[in-house]
Amino acid sequence: MNPISNLIDRINNENLWDREIQLERNEYLKVKGSIDTNIYLVINGSLRIFVIDEYEDHTIRFGYKGNLIASLDSFLNEQPSDFYIQALKKTTIKSINKKKYISFIESSLENKKIWLTILENFVLQQMERERDILTSSPIARYNRVLKRSPQLFQEIPNKYIASYLRMTPETLSRIKKS
Amino acid sequence: MVSTSNNLLQDLLELTRENLNIVENLKTQSTDNLNWKENPESWSALECIEHLNKYGDFYIPEISNKISTSKHKSSEIFKSNWLGKYFSKSVSYNEDLNKMKTFKSMNPLNSKLNIQTLEKFINQQHQIIELLNKSKSVNLDKTKTAISISKLIKLRLGDTFRVLIYHNERHIKQAEKALVKASR
Repeated sequence: MNPISNLIDRINNENLWDREIQLERNEYLKVKGSIDTNIYLVINGSLRIFVIDEYEDHTIRFGYKGNLIASLDSFLNEQPSDFYIQALKKTTIKSINKKKYISFIESSLENKKIWLTILENFVLQQMERERDILTSSPIARYNRVLKRSPQLFQEIPNKYIASYLRMTPETLSRIKKS
Repeated sequence: MVSTSNNLLQDLLELTRENLNIVENLKTQSTDNLNWKENPESWSALECIEHLNKYGDFYIPEISNKISTSKHKSSEIFKSNWLGKYFSKSVSYNEDLNKMKTFKSMNPLNSKLNIQTLEKFINQQHQIIELLNKSKSVNLDKTKTAISISKLIKLRLGDTFRVLIYHNERHIKQAEKALVKASR
């Protein structure tokens, strides 16, 4: 079983979610500079995590139905984080605070193992992502991501996929056509 | 009011996030509703937001300028003074909105307004978020800013942020109320 679904089932069984949050399209769950140590489960809808530099924003990750999302830096170090998290359409999420989450993870060896697997997978994904960014050809970048996450192209508007792929929306639509 | 600088900034960021979200949602309303007003003297939702934009036009460059020239290093604690308490209390939202006189230059009444008014406000909120972040490295007590209503008074940066952001909250709530009436 997928470790994330397994973990979510266990949290559901113990009824640990703090609350359900509704976000309308374009609403922000988190803005730059705030501390947010919660972990969120996406019930439906989609979100993006991004940073804004002086001239533009850069999309870093997406979350959709069944995903866990967090400002992981803030979750780990409890410091302000530069990430923004924004809903891309009407979205429902559930949240669990760090304290409750950690005591849940530490309550059994099995939970600890699952969490470790999730973190390991996350490291692997980040390494893939690092290679995406270092790939200089836009077409090769597109193909890597298409192969890895075809679902992305069904769920997320082009403009944000283009930002994730570090290309203009025009370039992305040209590549898609060819 | 005494708090740690970090807590103050975190609270102000959260409030700005809420202000931003409400105005993002206003974009889904019809222009007719956004321009609806109860009587000729009261403000439509867009007039409320335009009023805030006028304040933003003054405070954002002023705060930005004072942060970049501040020589005072950040301190852990922020302490509001009586003036800051007075102003932030008087502009903040409360259930039975205390009537305030609007300065003529800040009065949006009968300006020509459209969805761009909301876009401008949203853009200003991103600038405010940026300024809140930059202000982490300066002293919120000792850095002083001018205020829009008097050349004689300076406010502590922490108080200026409070005044600006509480004032935003106040008129966003007013805009929401106007819209509830508009759609009745």
